[in-house]
Amino acid sequence: MPTTRRSAVMSPQTRLAHSRRKLRGRWRMPRLDPSDADRALRNYRLQRKLGLPALLLLFGLLLGLPVALAAAPGLTELRLLDIPVSWLVIAVLPYPAMVLLARWQLRRAEHIEDS
Amino acid sequence: MAAGFAAASVILITLLIGLRGVAAMRTTSDFLVASRRVTPLLNSAAVSGEYLSAASFLGIAGLVLKDGVGALWYPVGFAAGYIAMLVLVAAPMRRSGALTVPDFAEARLASPALRKLAAVVVLVIGGLYLVPQFRTAGLVLGVVSGTPYWVGVVLAGAAVSITLALGGMRAATYVQAFQFCLKLLLFIVPAIWLLLTAGGAVRSDAVHPAEFTHFTQETSVQFRVDVTLEVTEDLTAFSRDGEAVPLRAGTHHMAANRVLVFPEGAPVPQVRGVSPPGGPDWERPLLNLAGAGYPLLGTLAILIATMLGTMGLPHVIMRFHTSPDGRAARRTAAITVALLSIFYLFPGIYGVLGRVLVPQLYLAGATDTAVVALPTQVDSGWQGTLFTALLTGGAFAAFLATSLGLLIAVSGAIAHDLAPGGLGRLRITVIASAAVVVVLALFSAHLDAGLLVSWGFTVAASTFSPLLVLGIWWPRLTAAGAIAGVLAGLLASSGAIALTLFGPPLDGWQAILAAQPAPWTVPLAVLTMVLVSLRGRPPAWAMAAMLRLHLDEDRTPSLGDRALDRRGHRSAASPRRLLTVRRRVRRLNR
Repeated sequence: MPTTRRSAVMSPQTRLAHSRRKLRGRWRMPRLDPSDADRALRNYRLQRKLGLPALLLLFGLLLGLPVALAAAPGLTELRLLDIPVSWLVIAVLPYPAMVLLARWQLRRAEHIEDS
Repeated sequence: MAAGFAAASVILITLLIGLRGVAAMRTTSDFLVASRRVTPLLNSAAVSGEYLSAASFLGIAGLVLKDGVGALWYPVGFAAGYIAMLVLVAAPMRRSGALTVPDFAEARLASPALRKLAAVVVLVIGGLYLVPQFRTAGLVLGVVSGTPYWVGVVLAGAAVSITLALGGMRAATYVQAFQFCLKLLLFIVPAIWLLLTAGGAVRSDAVHPAEFTHFTQETSVQFRVDVTLEVTEDLTAFSRDGEAVPLRAGTHHMAANRVLVFPEGAPVPQVRGVSPPGGPDWERPLLNLAGAGYPLLGTLAILIATMLGTMGLPHVIMRFHTSPDGRAARRTAAITVALLSIFYLFPGIYGVLGRVLVPQLYLAGATDTAVVALPTQVDSGWQGTLFTALLTGGAFAAFLATSLGLLIAVSGAIAHDLAPGGLGRLRITVIASAAVVVVLALFSAHLDAGLLVSWGFTVAASTFSPLLVLGIWWPRLTAAGAIAGVLAGLLASSGAIALTLFGPPLDGWQAILAAQPAPWTVPLAVLTMVLVSLRGRPPAWAMAAMLRLHLDEDRTPSLGDRALDRRGHRSAASPRRLLTVRRRVRRLNR
């Protein structure tokens, strides 16, 4: 029988969680390797920089639409295919917009990790 | 009765699929996060299946019928929450390696006290969210098959807890993903059938709302709650066995469960505190919350509560931990936005058709049964019965899937965070918490489900959302700041809603900010966290603890072991390596 020691294969995060659970109560936060720390700091900064515009767009869309509808009550009289336009603006319009926003943000976030 | 069979078959399928999850399960991680082997597409179907609760399947259409088109802002906020999740939380949360939200809090801030507090918050949110699910199960089964209320509650409780106790998160994942497809099908097909069968006149009425002032046909109304009617002109209604009930102009108190039949052409009585469907207020695309005026403020309050609440719901976050890595978690969030967007195109159709076909439900206080009441209005033959059965089955799937996720989050909080134990204790906790919730639900048939769920959302938005966002993105957050902020958010949001429920009547903007306190409780919690943290000093390792959440997993197994050793760890992402390990373990076990 080979003498290879059984070693658990796990991500650093999982190992952190495991090492912590054995020391319930007081424990020391494990340190990051310098190369990992650099990589993490770079990811953190880039993701923060790219995340902000996505968040602004999301909040602008969501909080802007009600304001626009309140400012333009005439949209309820205007009809498209006999349906009031203002109804379409809340029942249909936000969803494709949000799907596109999610797709765009996903691409950008993954791009950071790929390089 | 057909509807009863539909519900029964959904329960049965739940149990059968749940059994498929009873694979090798040895550790807490297997039980709580399905050993983290769930692919993004499956996971996002499960997230959506879990998220589309009775509130989405029945509630939104009912709210449109009751409050107007503006209620369609709810689903917009529900879906938008996942974009916020995608940008801010999904990947770093998964990379924390935690199994539950309290686990994450301790991993980031090393404070057992914070972990316990977070576990209590999970219990609060879970309770507020679970009780209405079981309650609706009891009510809907009662409506469609005439069983007593407790039968539905106990059946739902038993199906959910058996599935979970046996199969854990793996079973929950398969069940929820399957039920998402089921719900999508059972919601979209009847909607299209309704639109086609209802006829041109109904379709035209649906988009040209007229106020509900006179009964267009003989209408039977069963009051589900105590209602005070304001009758504007004298009219004569009839009891169920044809006895005349004269109603003079003035106010009349109607006890719950009483049945009145209004003749064709009779003027519709007003319900105190609710405007009748179809008025000019009804067609406005903003939400006049609590009849308080200020529709813009009301709409924004709802959007903030639903969007930020979604980001902090413990059972949703827990699903993200089942992803193999942070990247998969992020993809899950993005796909979920698309899946939910498909579903949320349809509740409005049920709502506007409901206003034309079943407006009397607003008198009865039973607007959330509008979806299941519609098919028989359009077709009184076998088709109507069939589609009622399909929709009931879908509704049952909705609260089963949601209860599964909530129950596992609650059990995790108890048996992993508050009183840590092994797998056996987790299984027992599942059964015990289900029993407690069933008992609670038995006594809450009269509670407003929508109110409890939005309370849960508000608590999540004012506690976990700030904790997660600041914990992931702000290195200076301290444990003391987090504890103070979570406490402030929990107390403020619960206090405000308790004030609405039990306090003196408020009106105007105060009423809105008490009923939907998220616009001020979230900033309060954030501000408390920031100010208390700034007064203290973060420990020396705080920056490392935060950065660890942003370190992407090694996804380049082709580099070989040397490169991996240089990075100091080996990744579980490589299937080849996993196979090697399995082979070695097998050899050792021989």
